[in-house]
Amino acid sequence: MKISRLILLLLFCCYGPWLSADTGALISTPDLSQLLEYPSDQNPEWPVELIPVEKVEYKRNTKASFCIRPVEMIDTIVIHHSETPTTSTPEDINDLHLARGTPEDPWYMIAYSYVINSPYAKKLEPMAKASEGRPLGLVGAHAGTDAYVPMDEEQKKIWDDKKILCGKENEEPKFDPSLIKDGLIKANVTTIGVVVIGNYAPFSQDNPGGYSRRNPRYPSVGTQDMIARLSCQLQKKYPKMKNIKWHNYYHSTSCPGTIKSYIGQIKTMAKEYGCDFN
Amino acid sequence: MRFQLTFMLFFLTTPLFAYDDKAMSELFIKYEQVMSYHKVEIVDEVFTKKFLKENGGKDEFIEKVKDLPLKKEKKGLGKLLAKWKKSKMKNIFFAKIKTESSPHPESSFIVVEEDGKLKIDGTVSDED
Repeated sequence: MKISRLILLLLFCCYGPWLSADTGALISTPDLSQLLEYPSDQNPEWPVELIPVEKVEYKRNTKASFCIRPVEMIDTIVIHHSETPTTSTPEDINDLHLARGTPEDPWYMIAYSYVINSPYAKKLEPMAKASEGRPLGLVGAHAGTDAYVPMDEEQKKIWDDKKILCGKENEEPKFDPSLIKDGLIKANVTTIGVVVIGNYAPFSQDNPGGYSRRNPRYPSVGTQDMIARLSCQLQKKYPKMKNIKWHNYYHSTSCPGTIKSYIGQIKTMAKEYGCDFN
Repeated sequence: MRFQLTFMLFFLTTPLFAYDDKAMSELFIKYEQVMSYHKVEIVDEVFTKKFLKENGGKDEFIEKVKDLPLKKEKKGLGKLLAKWKKSKMKNIFFAKIKTESSPHPESSFIVVEEDGKLKIDGTVSDED
């Protein structure tokens, strides 16, 4: 009996602080909505119901800093692929992103704002669904830290009014001038990431999970439709979201593989739902 | 009792994954041997069972390897691995490689321990 208590004590002493330090999100943390003071009922028609979006309770690393922004700052939806198997869940991606952080640069939570699970073209599994990722009011971590884009007048005003603030949970957020370089702003501030789970790039030394060139993987019509519905649903609530781009528009990467070739088709589909994307 | 306590302390404070540059470097030398020189007989030593299963099985994976251009001269082995780190939150490692075609590492390789050895368990698109 005494030995078992000792073991428990040792386990707590040796691993307890480690666990709480590195997986801070396991500790009770305030709801993110307390940090994000943005109205959620700007458009009473929301949700538009073009596509149901599942809510996910994500673990977060409370030791990591993040930035908050007014949703009016967002003008572009950026499409990604996860490069993982189609069976990966949004929680798996969150775990990977949390795990990839370093003590110097820890990651707060999943980099994307939406996650789409769907089968490749001509496949039946997994079951298709869309899920929430990081809240829209959080600056993303998906376009590339060195990608900068110009701002329009409205975005400049939001920036000048110092409404984009950075910090950690339970700390007072601060204005961070390093988000701007040569008059351009980090693309992560004005965009959201939508990730399609799967690996849509060819097999290569860089990408051993890729498809065989004899048997390429394409997004199914259902997947394209999901992206179109989700994008349109967002535009109906946030009319400023007028652009759909893809990851390697911002920097050199194979992401999002063959999905890139279908962006035009996705925009056409979105038109059928009453939306217009550049 | 003292022995038990000492043993427990040793067990609990010894890192479970005490891998070093050499172990990681050896894994990526083997990876390069598979991908560039088609040494497919060591595929099981390089990739986890889960990874191979997720990618259509060992035979299909080998077929894909054989579709890649075969390098003839074995020079420069060991230069593929650019950097790696152990995750502090999970018992996994993330490694980046630098190839001739893409000198700037794009994806992160997920490396885990299987059967007492480091193996590649997949990649994840590089966000930031």
